[in-house]
Amino acid sequence: MMMTWLDTRRQILIAATTLLLLGAAILVPLPIAAAAPQTHTIAINARTFAFEPATVSVQRGDTVKIHFESLDAEHGLYIDGYAVNIQAEPGRSADAAFIADQEGKFKFRCSVSCGALHPFMIGELSVEPDLPLARASAVTLIAAIGAVMFFWKD
Amino acid sequence: MKKEIFALSVICLILIVFPVALFAYQAWRTNEPGIRTIDLVAHAPASGGWIPDTINVNVGERVRLRISASDVVHGFEIPALGIAVDEILPGHVEQVEFVAARAGRFAFACTRWCSVDHWRMRGVIQVIDPANPDQPPPLAALPLYQQMKIDIDAPHPAPNVPAARPAAARGARLDLAVPDDLRNQSPSDVFARLRGDPALKANSDTDLWDAVAFAWKSAAGDAAIAHGRALFARDCAACHGEGGKGNGTAGRNLPGLAAMQVSASLMSTVKRGPADFTDASKMLGASDVLLQGKILRGGMGTGMPEWRTLYTDQDMWDAIGFLRSFVFDYGFTK
Amino acid sequence: MTTSRIELTGIPIVKQLLVSRWLQWSLVAATLPFFVLAILTGLAGTPAGSRNFGIVFVWIVWWALLILVLVPLAGRFWCAVCPIPAPGEWLQRRALVQPREGGRLFTLGWKFPRRLSNLWLQNAAFIAVALFAKVILTTPFVSALALLLFVTIALVTSLLYERRIFCRYICPVGGFIGLYSQLAPAQVRVKDHALCATHHDKTCYTGNERGYGCPWLVFPAALDKNTYCGMCAECLKTCSLDNVALYARPFGADLLTNNGRRFDEAYRGLMMLAGAPLYTVVFMGPWAEIKQAAYAVGSPNWWGYALGLLALMLVIVPGIFFACAALARVIARVQTPARNFFIDYGYAALPLGLGAWAAFSLSFVLTNISYAWAVLSDPFGWGWNLFGTADWKWTPYLAGGHPILQIPILLVGLVASIAVALRTAREQHVSQRAALPIVAFAVTFTLGLVWLYV
Repeated sequence: MMMTWLDTRRQILIAATTLLLLGAAILVPLPIAAAAPQTHTIAINARTFAFEPATVSVQRGDTVKIHFESLDAEHGLYIDGYAVNIQAEPGRSADAAFIADQEGKFKFRCSVSCGALHPFMIGELSVEPDLPLARASAVTLIAAIGAVMFFWKD
Repeated sequence: MKKEIFALSVICLILIVFPVALFAYQAWRTNEPGIRTIDLVAHAPASGGWIPDTINVNVGERVRLRISASDVVHGFEIPALGIAVDEILPGHVEQVEFVAARAGRFAFACTRWCSVDHWRMRGVIQVIDPANPDQPPPLAALPLYQQMKIDIDAPHPAPNVPAARPAAARGARLDLAVPDDLRNQSPSDVFARLRGDPALKANSDTDLWDAVAFAWKSAAGDAAIAHGRALFARDCAACHGEGGKGNGTAGRNLPGLAAMQVSASLMSTVKRGPADFTDASKMLGASDVLLQGKILRGGMGTGMPEWRTLYTDQDMWDAIGFLRSFVFDYGFTK
Repeated sequence: MTTSRIELTGIPIVKQLLVSRWLQWSLVAATLPFFVLAILTGLAGTPAGSRNFGIVFVWIVWWALLILVLVPLAGRFWCAVCPIPAPGEWLQRRALVQPREGGRLFTLGWKFPRRLSNLWLQNAAFIAVALFAKVILTTPFVSALALLLFVTIALVTSLLYERRIFCRYICPVGGFIGLYSQLAPAQVRVKDHALCATHHDKTCYTGNERGYGCPWLVFPAALDKNTYCGMCAECLKTCSLDNVALYARPFGADLLTNNGRRFDEAYRGLMMLAGAPLYTVVFMGPWAEIKQAAYAVGSPNWWGYALGLLALMLVIVPGIFFACAALARVIARVQTPARNFFIDYGYAALPLGLGAWAAFSLSFVLTNISYAWAVLSDPFGWGWNLFGTADWKWTPYLAGGHPILQIPILLVGLVASIAVALRTAREQHVSQRAALPIVAFAVTFTLGLVWLYV
């Protein structure tokens, strides 16, 4: 592979710039004006094998109060990233409360073995604004553009 | 050639000896001489219920039940033998042991809400005396409601309904004399008798209702009410709701509901669904014996199970004692 | 085409191991008990999948090992130690370790039909598994039946056909780990091709008293890509000129070889690409209706799901890629058919695909591997407690933090795909701008996965 001195220097420049931009995309704080925190009281029902509702959306900083009921057998509610792990069965509901202080999308899962599709009984809590998604998308685009420029041979 | 023999022996070990060893280990683990070991697998009723659902043992045998759950969390209880396992997790095995001391039929049931058909999940252990294999089980006494010829399906609205929720604590302070035999009278009947008592003319309706509430509470007793509360939480709340309003999550799609016929000749509409225990008119118009009848017999296809085979008489009085707390204020701190 | 490489068999202990006939047998003997246990527990153990060895150790542990470790690092090495073809092969060879005197094989020795001597059977097998994946992965009994089915087919084909026909042309797993093994940093290759030209016997393919000819019907002297090499090291043993070696080499080196690029392989790469987001949606998304449709095999909903799966994997994703390849052709301004562009650029999809499957699998495994600890103590769900871990509870690892690991993996795949795409344009002697539609496809695909994972 013949690479001229200019080529190598160009590639190093591109790589360095890309890495810098990637770092910025990941670390630079984005000043999004936060709305006043609200309290959400949400009823989540579990049935084999689904949560209803399966998607919940709140704003960062909101207080979330969940009333968890099961419609048919014992199910659990485990929220990724938040310390919530409660169980309910028909006749015995459960409650949890937390402050949505991390933004992004967090899966919630059933934590009581409830049958064949138990490991796939999943819902999603979305804490807006979804900065992680924005950052990840930016990172993807920066990496792609950097890669095109890096691997482009004149 | 020696290499091949060695290699083949190892493979035979893996393909033959290993599986045999696994099953042999299980057989060794689960069989103890002198003990009758029975594998009992719990499935949600739609997938088979208890398998087996009839267990036959002889009097005097020591029985070991190895109970496992195949799909969801189940529970197990043989009420007449005082045996209970609160939780059987899927893929786990719980063991109970007992000696079949006397002949008879002993019902067992699942005690954790496992599916829409949970209430169907029952079985029976038949303990047979080999000396008298065909001896019929002793006749149980007729339930009270049948002895008294009470029609438990007839509507029972209370002619008198209190304006506010009667409080047992206030009734305690009043210290009024209340009739003893409360079981076969409805609270509304007792109120009417008190109201008709000239000695109590000065007391307001509220006072008298409070006295009725207190009478019921003390007749049951705190221990019984606590036990009734536990039974309600475990067995009733799923359909009747944690607050007794008849809005439990499992009561929404009961099989018989759609088929419930509402007679046009009845003045009051029959609610389609689990009973609302906070409905003062209905609850205050029902005697304990009537309520016991409903619990004993079940709902004839509406989805209300029969509890006669599982609950002792005391269980039922305890449960009814607690049910009254949905219309009477017993001072529970929630 | 020589890429930089380090001859690992130059290290004496490595050479001794690979030349020993005991190595492969002992590795298979090591995987065989797990396989036997997986089948036994699937057939006789608890139906609760999370407490059954057959489910947990096949679809979580083995899968994790395969897609996160073995394939990216050792290519198709699993094939050398896989227990599924072993009984058939031993029967066929009438030997477990040492080749028999006289070398007569217990098989009809038919040649596999030419029409089927390609990747299409494996592509179909993978689709079949995908259609029933929801049931296979969750129901121990069905999972055991699937494994028994593979073993039976492998056994029967060994008795009817020569060598390892199951592994080469039928196994659904082999189809894609073969493709992704092109990215691995290891290879079995001839040391000096000129030396092969002087060798008339070609014992690497015909076999001799030291070993068997390549079970994957590969001609080692011509082997220039990992796709069909099962890394069993027979050729290292049989080459009488000691001209075969195991090398370490840069990741993805096989993508730099233009020879032997085929439509069935390129198409499979696109099918696998479609599979990653599909499996993510079906196994990890919050869309319960889709999951239930995937599970209720035979129901009208399932037919809808099946049609959707077939459309996505067979038509939509390959179709969109074909359109991008056609656009590349337009930009390139050449007369070469679009099909050739599809094939050439299809290999650029391989790093993307492996990255996607690794990212999906990582999240799936981190969430569910904690079942393995309890299952080790109680493989059947019969109440055993062999190692005292039977009551250990499910614990999802790094819950909520998977994207931190997934994004870098996806980006490595994306960047590698872009590099390969640009290189493809250059080797076609056209403007590199022709690669841009492919780059756009790769970026869009990655953004889609980012949306699913983050």
